[in-house]
Amino acid sequence: MASQALNSSTQPTDVYGGDEVSAIILDPGYSSIRAGFAGEDAPKSFAPSDYGVTTEGTFLFGDDAIHDPNANLEIRNPMGKDGTVEDWDIATQLWEHAITSRLTNFKQADPRKNGLNDDLSDAVLEMETDGDKPLEEHPLLMTETAWNSTKNREKSIEVAMESWGCPAFWLARNSVLAAFGAGKATAMVIDVGASTASVVCVHDGLILKKSVQKSPLAGNWVSQQIRILFEKAEPKVNLVPHFMVAGKTAVDSGAPAQATVRNFKIPPTASFRALEEERIITEFKESVVQVWNGANGHLYQEISQGGYKNFDSLRSQPGRTYEMPDGSNQMWGAERYTVAEGMFVASNTNEQNAGPTLIDMIKASFNATDMDIRPHLLANVVVTGATTLMNGFVDRLNSEMTTMYPGVKVKIQAAGLTAERRFGSWMGGSVLGSLGTFHQMWISKAEYEEHGASIVEKRCK
Amino acid sequence: MPQFRDDHILLIAPGSQTTLAQLGLPESYTPAALRIPTRMFPGLEENTYEPYKIRTRKKEIVSNAGDTEMGGTGASEEDVEELIELPDDDEGAIYPLKEGRIVSMPAFLAFLNHVFVMLSPTTIHTPVMIIAQPAWTAKNLEDITGYVFEKFKTPALSITDSALAVAYAYGVTNATVIDVGFEKVDVTAVTDYLISGRGSVPHSGGEGMTRRLQELLKAKDFTRDMAEQLKKNPICEILIPGTPLPGIEAPEQEVTNPAAAATTGALSSGPGVRITEAPREVEVAEEDFVDDKVDDDGVLDVASIVTSGKTQEFLAKKEREKQERSLARKAAKDAREAAEAAAARPVRLPNSKRPRAVFHFEEHIQEHAAKRLKTPEPMSAIEPPSVIEPMSAIEPASAIEETAPIELPVQPPADPLIEGKDDGSAIVSPLVSSSDAPITSIDDRREQVKAARKEEKRKAREEEHPDRIRRDYEIGLERFQAAGNGYLEAIADTVYRTVLKVDEIKHRQDAWDSLIFCGQGCKVRGFKDALLATLNNHYLVSPSSATMFMSELPSNLATPSGTGSITPNASFSGTPHQLPHPSSVNPLLFAATTSQNQGLNPNQSLSQNGHFFQQNNHSSHSQSPSSIKVATPPTYFPEWKNFDEAVFLGAQVAAKLYFIVDGGVSKAYLSRGEFNEEGPSAIHQIGLV
Repeated sequence: MASQALNSSTQPTDVYGGDEVSAIILDPGYSSIRAGFAGEDAPKSFAPSDYGVTTEGTFLFGDDAIHDPNANLEIRNPMGKDGTVEDWDIATQLWEHAITSRLTNFKQADPRKNGLNDDLSDAVLEMETDGDKPLEEHPLLMTETAWNSTKNREKSIEVAMESWGCPAFWLARNSVLAAFGAGKATAMVIDVGASTASVVCVHDGLILKKSVQKSPLAGNWVSQQIRILFEKAEPKVNLVPHFMVAGKTAVDSGAPAQATVRNFKIPPTASFRALEEERIITEFKESVVQVWNGANGHLYQEISQGGYKNFDSLRSQPGRTYEMPDGSNQMWGAERYTVAEGMFVASNTNEQNAGPTLIDMIKASFNATDMDIRPHLLANVVVTGATTLMNGFVDRLNSEMTTMYPGVKVKIQAAGLTAERRFGSWMGGSVLGSLGTFHQMWISKAEYEEHGASIVEKRCK
Repeated sequence: MPQFRDDHILLIAPGSQTTLAQLGLPESYTPAALRIPTRMFPGLEENTYEPYKIRTRKKEIVSNAGDTEMGGTGASEEDVEELIELPDDDEGAIYPLKEGRIVSMPAFLAFLNHVFVMLSPTTIHTPVMIIAQPAWTAKNLEDITGYVFEKFKTPALSITDSALAVAYAYGVTNATVIDVGFEKVDVTAVTDYLISGRGSVPHSGGEGMTRRLQELLKAKDFTRDMAEQLKKNPICEILIPGTPLPGIEAPEQEVTNPAAAATTGALSSGPGVRITEAPREVEVAEEDFVDDKVDDDGVLDVASIVTSGKTQEFLAKKEREKQERSLARKAAKDAREAAEAAAARPVRLPNSKRPRAVFHFEEHIQEHAAKRLKTPEPMSAIEPPSVIEPMSAIEPASAIEETAPIELPVQPPADPLIEGKDDGSAIVSPLVSSSDAPITSIDDRREQVKAARKEEKRKAREEEHPDRIRRDYEIGLERFQAAGNGYLEAIADTVYRTVLKVDEIKHRQDAWDSLIFCGQGCKVRGFKDALLATLNNHYLVSPSSATMFMSELPSNLATPSGTGSITPNASFSGTPHQLPHPSSVNPLLFAATTSQNQGLNPNQSLSQNGHFFQQNNHSSHSQSPSSIKVATPPTYFPEWKNFDEAVFLGAQVAAKLYFIVDGGVSKAYLSRGEFNEEGPSAIHQIGLV
């Protein structure tokens, strides 16, 4: 019987009329889209950003639709590698799906009619027609990355105002919202998502532009490391997704799999297979992968010629087993510590690092801030993003940061609940969107009509 | 003093096809009192809806539907127009729910109104409990909330998700509810009575199987009705994946999972067990009974009779008895021969081993005046006589649920048309494989007699139900493939995906350990077992041989046996995993112990596979599922035998809890005062969907 701590209805508002109507918070990311009503404690709608394209060219959205191996789907993602939108047409439809599937009805169920060419008069007309209430009821609070381009920001308000006819709109930085979600106005936000890891310093609810650091060393990169680990394992681990397996037989650890494989008339596409493989890797991350806690320096700390103290000590530790969908299984001992190590230390044995490590980013971000606020930042380190849920991640971060900044109080705020960590910025949006004072900040439809899309640059800093 | 009274509570559980409703909670919870199709018809005016199809008729027809119409439009306005109740006519019907989603809110609201009118509660005292489909959006809930409060003056409303209701019905805190509906399968993971994961398989459900059958039997010109009836017929069966189809020489090696057997105690041995103990066993017993009687005749204890000195008397009595018996047997004088002939046949094959079976299709003709078609010619030389189900069970007008496809046609005593002695032969024959039976002269004779008898029965039936015709079709292997082509795999994948959505990793195993199948779709014979086998086959994680020497093995897990190998966990659970009732543990006890103290219940703690004994500094994490179990239905609801509609039981349990027991403390319902203050969106604070 979850009840809400926040309630927008008691707050007086004089800017837009619908005080009874809660705002919709839309938090799109590379791997998933979070959407829900302001004031609630979890997003009601959680949809994957991946979508399927059938051979006929129709789009399939949502988790329930894209996992059918018989549908011969091509899996794509409208988001770019840095977590910003690349394909606006699809992104709009995808977000619409996320909102309509669980939250509210759009007036137009048919997404084709929701194209960008609809002019405003349509929306006005629909307001007058009776029946289901469209999104025009709900103000929309959208999140964006700290490095979102001006063009993208203007596009966001365009979609919200013109395609969806929102009465009010706001665009908020996801790092700021993550800080709000943790109850901070000033914080160093470490956000490790699927495609991007970022470190952003927030002061009084505003990002410090110079402090924005990002790196591709995030969830997807770890997945890549796991694939490499599988490749290099002895014996090599075959990543066979569940849909390929018709039946499996229990085999000894390390023994080759004895599974019957399903045959498809039309073999599923490579992108579909990759999507399904990713599900296994995700489970592997949840149940096997461990981040070295950094107790005696990093994992590959050398003590003497060629020996790694920490890594070698782990070899004697019990490992974890993981069974692949085809039934093959093996014990993962010290190797399970290796995949995430590269996020912290540049000299990873697996491959050249593709970007700055978290430690580098923290340093760079920290050094770009004003001396006065530095202690505040370190006392309020907010950790968010699903990749930070890897076992031992926060311990390691804590250990690294205390070593890095001795004598300063480093306090890491990491939500204990899985959902709060995964949906950190959405939660912040939920808090912000339900604040009475925030109601005066919305960009209303009238303002948009008067100033055009560029208003978002002026207002949403 | 609770605020509401039991007999005032109104329960509504809408489904895409059928809506269950009831006014008042009975002393002992019962299946829904009202069961109506979830459909409306366009009204006379635009944007109005009528519960029944309206047909304009001439005046002479007596208006009998005036009391069921709604909204004030109606028959009395004009004399020439009258509303006729046409329950069978669904032409032009609007189904407000599709795959659980509300596709037409106005129609749905009108439907709610219709339900209200039918039950006519005293709205001022009537709290309303509506069971929400998982697919309903937040907006839907608000609309419904607004409508209910504004229209019905109800004092309180609670909207509860159907999966939660099912969990309440079973009394389990954690569950994975697999609801096989009309056109969809909803999968919901419930942990601690909260919904923690949702998934849905579109275009599936019972209708998905019907469509598949229809497609497979296209060559035989199967209509949807025929496919639907076939699906409900016991000859349509979903075999456990890997079971070789009859008539095909072991197409592939049977895929079994020893691990499944090891941890759940049954599953991979499931196919074998199920097949040998197929429900046809009953018939064997019946036949034996016939034989026994016969044997009694022959084996007399002569010595005792003679010594008793009443030989003459006894013999006379015996003679009389014999005569009586032969008289009784006159109607079916060759029953014994038939029985013997059948007994002489090698093996009686269960349905799943027979390549072909005969399906009797009953067609319902709308108009009694329709031309009465005589049943077509017998199909083959050895066409088995029908084992007739009681007619009422096949009534198309009755809802899907009542047909109870799992119910086997083997209950001769219930059948008024077949007399006792007849059973032996009548039942034997459908078991005889039509293809491989040698036709002996005895058989021929038997067939003739049977054909004659069948004709009689048919006549009797046709006289009784002149609006039905009956056709026989021989169905081959298609009848085993209703859930083929990735159907089960799609559901299994959704289950797996849904459980993985549970955030708390340690709760995932709990969800796996109490699967609940519900919904009408899973009544198809063999469906549950097949789905369970698919899940086991694909997703069950076997105990790894690598963990054998693991030092972090929980100390109280299981002592390694003398051979040095660790015995799989579930073998310690005392009750072997048996389908469909996985464990005989008292569910109350089970629920109580598992929710309170994991460590105290040996069954439970063993099945956790060490979840609670992992290192302290990390949340426990390991791969799931290490076991897959089906939740045991509660045994303390005597009225509930069939838990396919557990959702309605759950609605009653939840309503009692929310409205009466709890009295609003946990804010499980929205009161009128709160609604007036905050509007429809206040329903989200209830948080039960």
